[in-house]
Amino acid sequence: MVDFIQTTIDGLSIGSAYSLIALGFTLVFGVMRRINLSYGPSIMLGAFAGTWIFVTLDAQPWLVAAVTVAGTVAVGVYVERVCFWAIRRDAAIASMVSSFVIWMQLEEVATILLPGRTYPFPELFRTGGVEIGPYFFRMEYVTTLTVAILVLVMLRLLLFKTRFGLALRAVSENPAAAAYMGIRPGRVIFRAFVLASLIGGIAGYLLLAADQQVTPYFGLWATFKGLIAMMLGGMGSIPGAVVGGLILGVIESQTQWYLGNAYKDLSSYLVLFMVLVLRPGGLLGQGIAEREAQAFRRI
Amino acid sequence: MASRMAGDAMLELSELSKHFDGIRAVDGLSLEVERGEVFGLIGPNGSGKSTTVNLVCGVFPATSGRVLLEGKDLGGLPPHRRLNAGISRTFQNIRLFGELTVWQNLWIARRDAPGEEAGFMRNWFGSSARIREAIEETLVFAGLAGRANDLARNLAFGEQRRLELARAVSARPQLILLDEPAAGMNREEVEDLKQRILALKGSGITVLLVEHVMELVMGVTDRVAVLNFGKLIALGAPGEIQGNMAVREAYLGSPDAEAA
Repeated sequence: MVDFIQTTIDGLSIGSAYSLIALGFTLVFGVMRRINLSYGPSIMLGAFAGTWIFVTLDAQPWLVAAVTVAGTVAVGVYVERVCFWAIRRDAAIASMVSSFVIWMQLEEVATILLPGRTYPFPELFRTGGVEIGPYFFRMEYVTTLTVAILVLVMLRLLLFKTRFGLALRAVSENPAAAAYMGIRPGRVIFRAFVLASLIGGIAGYLLLAADQQVTPYFGLWATFKGLIAMMLGGMGSIPGAVVGGLILGVIESQTQWYLGNAYKDLSSYLVLFMVLVLRPGGLLGQGIAEREAQAFRRI
Repeated sequence: MASRMAGDAMLELSELSKHFDGIRAVDGLSLEVERGEVFGLIGPNGSGKSTTVNLVCGVFPATSGRVLLEGKDLGGLPPHRRLNAGISRTFQNIRLFGELTVWQNLWIARRDAPGEEAGFMRNWFGSSARIREAIEETLVFAGLAGRANDLARNLAFGEQRRLELARAVSARPQLILLDEPAAGMNREEVEDLKQRILALKGSGITVLLVEHVMELVMGVTDRVAVLNFGKLIALGAPGEIQGNMAVREAYLGSPDAEAA
């Protein structure tokens, strides 16, 4: 039982970082109904910028964190301009395809910047941990969980109390009506991208600092984790992204503990498959039929 | 029209046409809505009323012709910029932001008055006392004073209709387009709406009312235009329109149909 609880705690900590990545996907999906496959790779390139100043200039960890986040935002803006803004009148699939192409480009940039593939990534606090009774809290996990909760609280305030947050939710709900009410859809989408990149950069830093290393494959990994977590919880749903990330983290750490590392990804795909069969809209997402019905009622 | 001073009209449609795949939804329509009046737009189903509203709001570009607001050509302005130019609207099918509260629906639609454009803090975190006061006033106008903190989707149908109207007013428009606001309303609610439209007029807002419910049209408008097949077939005071043979024909098919 102690094992089970300890593994759950570890899973929730990693899962809180997954939640943040899923939030980035879901915010962008919410305002444009388009998926940004380059989201993970943007975070990866931001992290490469961070590790680059670490290995070449021996920068302080807090500066690495700042550069990682700022780099992710810069790359996120680039992706938004090229894959979304420039082709906003074209089919949604065009954005997805071009975000895949840009993904390849970002990986190339990373390997040109640092050709060695694997680089050290500094943690913010000394490794170690806190022991409470039979449980051990790894310091990185404590940091991850704390920062994730902080980000969630601030995001909640932003989305529910500020005019920008309300505009973002209005565009997610009904883009046409929002435009008639004077809300510029393009501006809201751009800001949603910046916000998503900010959150992604923070999540990326937390995950990589826990691993203490970064490779160009982090982009692929982050996109997968984020998409799975988002689909588990329900696409476009903000609470869904949080719940989906936490569930994914717990499933992974439990399978890893009881069945071994090899089954980790398999079990998360299996759970995603079952959820999508039983509840096609995701756990907290509106069912597709329900969403259609609601749209119809409004007409 | 040459005798009239330029800029006298709030809204001017000039030779406006919109064709969809060869169907002339609006066909060379010219009319002027004067400042401060309640102008009715009626016509049978498919006569081009909704297309006209959509052209004024910038949903799609006109095939030919122009839309002028206070003498300024709106050209190809997108909807969000038409709101800034002073045109707001309600929807035939309610399109509120259901996940936002009543108050937030009004706040988000609010257009700043000149000199009121507060900077970063107000735009992001809160609103000045003056704006809160204005929103309160709008809530009272719409009879929603007690419901400020309820989610819009939890309102009753009639309240949602009133919130639609309040949201359009919150944008501080010069011209407000009401797209079949009485659809689905009972007699009492129509009477209530009539009073609110007259109150809008009283505060100096020009109203373009597209409506099927004749009781409302005849009760509030200063002038009424009748469309059929995308063309203007009659224009005049509500009393004149009621007695107009061409209008009866458009609605009923032929003059004999009424007798039958």
